[in-house]
Parts: sequence; C-alpha cells; structure tokens
Amino acid sequence: MATLEVKDLHVEVKDDEQNKTQEILKGVNLTMKTGEIHAIMGPNGTGKSTLSQTIMGQPNYHVTQGDILLNGESILKMPVDERARKGLFLGMQYPAEIQGVTNAEFLRAAMNARRADDDQISVMAFLKELDKNLALLDMSESMTERYLNEGFSGGEKKRNEILQLLMIKPTFALLDEIDSGLDIDALKVVSKGVNSMRGDNFGSLIITHYQRLLNYIVPDVVHVMMGGRIVKTGNADLAKTLEKEGYAGLRDDLGLDVELVDEN
Amino acid sequence: MEAVQDYDALKTELAAAANDHGEPHWFVDRRLAAVDDMATAALPEVNRFDIHRWPLTPTDDPLKFSRSSADLLENVPVADDHIQIVQVGQTTYAANLPDELDDQGVILTDIFSAFREHPRLTQKHFMDKIIKTNEDRLTSFHTAFLNSGVFLYVPKGVVIDDPIEIHLVQDSTQDNHPMISHVLIVAEEDSHFSVMQHLTTKGDHANLASCVVEVLARPNSEVHFSSFDELGPNTTTYLNRRANISRDANVDWAIGLMNDGDTFGDFDSELIGENSKSDAKVITLTGGRQRVGVNTRVTNRGKKSTGNILQRGVIMEKSTLIFNGIGHIIHGAAGANAEQENRVLMMSSKAHGDANPILLIDENDVLAGHAASVGQVDAKQMYYLMSRGITEPQAKRLVIRGFLSAVLQAIPAKDVRQNLTDTIERKLENGAEVE
Repeated sequence: MATLEVKDLHVEVKDDEQNKTQEILKGVNLTMKTGEIHAIMGPNGTGKSTLSQTIMGQPNYHVTQGDILLNGESILKMPVDERARKGLFLGMQYPAEIQGVTNAEFLRAAMNARRADDDQISVMAFLKELDKNLALLDMSESMTERYLNEGFSGGEKKRNEILQLLMIKPTFALLDEIDSGLDIDALKVVSKGVNSMRGDNFGSLIITHYQRLLNYIVPDVVHVMMGGRIVKTGNADLAKTLEKEGYAGLRDDLGLDVELVDEN
Repeated sequence: MEAVQDYDALKTELAAAANDHGEPHWFVDRRLAAVDDMATAALPEVNRFDIHRWPLTPTDDPLKFSRSSADLLENVPVADDHIQIVQVGQTTYAANLPDELDDQGVILTDIFSAFREHPRLTQKHFMDKIIKTNEDRLTSFHTAFLNSGVFLYVPKGVVIDDPIEIHLVQDSTQDNHPMISHVLIVAEEDSHFSVMQHLTTKGDHANLASCVVEVLARPNSEVHFSSFDELGPNTTTYLNRRANISRDANVDWAIGLMNDGDTFGDFDSELIGENSKSDAKVITLTGGRQRVGVNTRVTNRGKKSTGNILQRGVIMEKSTLIFNGIGHIIHGAAGANAEQENRVLMMSSKAHGDANPILLIDENDVLAGHAASVGQVDAKQMYYLMSRGITEPQAKRLVIRGFLSAVLQAIPAKDVRQNLTDTIERKLENGAEVE
C-alpha cells in the first residue's frame, strides 16, 4: 500500500505582471492511500488546482510551509519528472500541445522513462496495450499518429489525458477537472477509463466543481475546499448534500469567513 | 579582405582552364564577363550579420577540374530505381532517369553537359534571368569559378510523382578545392514535381562551398524543393536559392540547414505572375562557434500573389544565428498576401541570435503580417512532458524537435525525414554535452 500525505501545506504563487505574491493554500492536510478515490470539491478560486499542481511540482507554485510525503518521503525537493517516475500523475485541465511529436512516440517515451534501460517496452507489447486502451476509451487509432494534443478538441484532449493514465499506470493520479467541457457520453467514457484503474495499487484525487462526475466515479472520500483549506471531509453523500445546498450554504453552516469568487 | 587582383591575369587563366574543359564559347565568355563584374561588385547586404572577413571568393585557387574518388560515395544511397543524380566533387557518379521520363523530354544531367547539349535551354536561364551574375560579388564569383552542377528540365505538362533526388558530395579531401555548384531547374507550364537535395562533405580540409539553385517556374507549374544541408565544420558556405514564379505557379521551399560550418544563406521567391504562390520554410540548429546568417525573402510583384515565410532556429553553445525575413510587396501587386514568422530559441547564455522581420510594402491593397520571437524552450511544454516522467534533457529534445517540425513535415521521403530528425537529435546531444 502506498500513501500520499499533504501536511499543513502553505503555497504562494507569484504574479509576474503585478510582481506580487499571493498565498493560495493556507494549511492543507490530506492523507490518501492506494485503493481509495478521493474527490476535492470547492468553489472557483479556492486552491484546488493549486493543490494538484503543487503536488506535481509545477515551478510557479512555492511551498512556504508544510510538506508533501509520498510513502513517508518528502518530494518537495524533487523535480517534476522524478515525482512522476515515483508514481504521481496529473491529468491536466489544459494539456500542452506539442507539434512534431506523435502521441504514440510520446506515450512510449513516458512509459520507458520509468523502466530500466535494459527493460524498455517492446513495440509489440506497447501496441497491444495501446489498442486495448484505445478501445476502452472509444478512441480512434489515428489519434496516436497525430501530434501530441495538436488540434485536438477539448474532449479529445481529456480522453488523451486518460489514455496516458491507462498507459502509464501511476500509483496516484491527480485529475484536475477532467469533466470540464465534456458532454455526457464523453463523461461516461472518461469515467469508465478511470474506474478501470481502480484497485489496490491505485489511488486518485479527483478535482471537480460539480457532483455530476461523482455519479460515475463514486469516491470513497469527499473533501470540500474553501479559502485555501479543506473545511469538511465526508463520504460520497457529502457531494450530494453540496449539490443541493451549494457552497455558500456549507460555508454559512460552518461559520467560515470566506469570500466566494462567484458570489454576487 | 582579398588583395588587389590582377583581373587580366585571372581572366587568362580562367579562359585557359575553361577551354581545356571543353566548355562552349558562350559560357567561357560569361565567366570572363563575371570576372569584370567581380572587380566592381560589392558583397550582398545582410542585416545585422557580417560576412566581410569570410573566405567567400578565393581567387587564389585557380579553376581546375579533377576526378573525385568513388570511395567518397559511401553514405550516398545510390539506387537505380530512384530518380537521382549523384555528384562527388566535380564527378557525376549516377544520373538515373526512368525511360518514360526521358521519352517525355525530361532532362537530368550535369550542368556542363547541359551547356554543351542544351544551349537553348541553359544559355538564357543560367545566372541571367532568375539570379543575375552581376548582382553582387558572390554571384559574379559563382559564375566565374563554377566547377560543378546539375540541370533539370521538366517539359510542359509532365507530372512526376516520385521525388527527384540531387545528392551533392563536397570533396574536401584536399586543400584549394572549392565546391562551386549550380543547380538549374526549369519547370515548364503545367509541370508538377518535387526535388530533394542533399549536401554533404567528405574530408576535413577547409574549403568554400558556393551552392546556388535557380528555379524557373512557368505558368501553373508546381515545384516542391527540399534541401537537407549537411556540409562539414571546415566548410564556409554560401547558399543562394531563388525561384521566379509565373502566373498560377507554386514553389515551396523546405530547407533543413544543418551545416556544421559558417553559412550565409540567401533564399528568395520572386512572385512575378498573377496568383503565384510560394511557401518558404527554413529550420536550422547552430552550435560550437558557428555563425549562420539567413536572408529569406519573398517579393510579391504579381496581383493576388501569396508568399509565406517560416523560419525557426535553435542556437546552442557560442554560436550566432541571424534570421532576416524580408517581405517586399511591389506597387501594383494588388490583393497580394505576405505572411512571415521568424523564431529562434536560445539554448545558451553565450549564444547570440536574432529574428528580424523586414516588411517593405509599396501597395495598399494587401494583407501582410509578421511574428518574431527570441526565446527559451516553452516552459509549459516542458512541464507537461516532465509530468509524465520524461527527463529534462529528453523533454527538451522533444520540444525542440516539435519547434523545428515545420520543415520535417514538408520533406516527401520518409527516410530523409528520419535522417534529418536523427541529425537534429545528434546536434542537440552534442550541444548539450558541451554546455
């Protein structure tokens, strides 16, 4: 069993244009284990994406206090690629487009990066795995010869993130708003992909605005984040309560002094 | 930086060598006139790049003709079933043209044979119509000292599906052995074909390469020209490639400038006819102390003509790269369209480079645009690749390859694309080791 622990995490981000730093995370605590699916819900601008980007190691986010531990080992000083090879994966909200590098070539490079030099995946084994996952995600084979995310629609990009998840098989997957911009059919396909990963050797932290996604990927634990902290943790029912009462309702129940971005 | 010349002595010497070589009188006369031009012509202007001290017109080396060894062919994929011409130094080792193309009147031969056998087709075109001998000191030197080359003629209406390969190997196994090579391409009306050129060097002696390509694209013809330039580290290179493009004709350039030595490149599309089109893509990767300067120019003369320029370069170590993109729209070229994009990536703090868009517009009814940047490897792309476990050096190579991919996609043969990719990877690895 693997664990991912976030301890009293404070993170600030620098705005280059205004040249000032702003604290976004103000003491986040979270522990997850493989075999579990956690969901983080919360209003806009509350730090959900910051949390996932900081765990992955995005260089614009600066940890000022606290720690992130993977199996008891701090990963704060590790570069992004090393964190990935240790088992972390971030399904991104806005994946980069890279011309000239095919999807297939990229997938192989990513899979081989975590294997020893004398144990690189064979072409046959790679193609077999690829075909299986393409079928699962209802993706056309031609996607693999296209350049990485280049000219992909929003939905294709999301599917492509999940394809990478299935090929790379990380220990912990952080999925940042993989439901945004998806119609109901695409949402089902993406959920099917994530659910196929469920098991004792996989854990996931799913970030979402809406409860809708959680009807398809039923979480074991739901966290609600507001104002840079986790303010409530519960089971899957918490998400349904939120859907009914809204974030403002929860805030008022908890007596929090947090301004919501979208509040009028 | 050359000493004052005794031009008369030079002419006498040149005439003797050319006559020994059995050249037609008209061409010997051209050589001699070119010497006169040299006496007064200046070097071409290159914005922000200085070639004055380069050994680009070595008149101390007399014109001489010699046979180069077939041993130097070792890396050339000579194949009977490819349409190809192969030259090593001044020696033509293969000229393969299928019988059916020969029957249709296609000509693929060395340039001196063409001067003798096809004077009607060569005399009026060679360095007198597309590029003029007296334009500057480099063009006049080129005509005066020409010592190798290729002539390709595609008659009216002939469509050739397979690429025509031109393999030119510079023989630098000896000193005083410049490669002064000319490729003349005439595309008659309604002809369609693609040309794939590959320049390489054998031997490590310091020599000049003066390589000129002229393309005459007659109405409604279509020529796709790609060149993979891999001249050696001790070669100082002058490249001049220009097309004259008539009504409804289209010429594409895809240039992978991968020379290891100092290089000045001048690439030019003259959009003369109405509705003519040109698309020029140039990529390069510089390293060591190499200096590379490129002028890529499109001149819109014809109404509704369209010209695009895309230049991308990666500058490593202590090298210098200047990209000038010159878009010139002549008065009267109503409805013309000219777009250009020039970008360079700086991979080292000791590198030097610039991307300069130069727009000269003398007509109101046009569409013109440009983008230029000098920057670092895209941080967002790097983060994305590394978040999948790919190491920083490999991620960098992938991002750079993506940055340079515009030309890769335009090369018609898969093996050549792969070779160019391999060369890019090799250069990136070498550059990374040194830094």
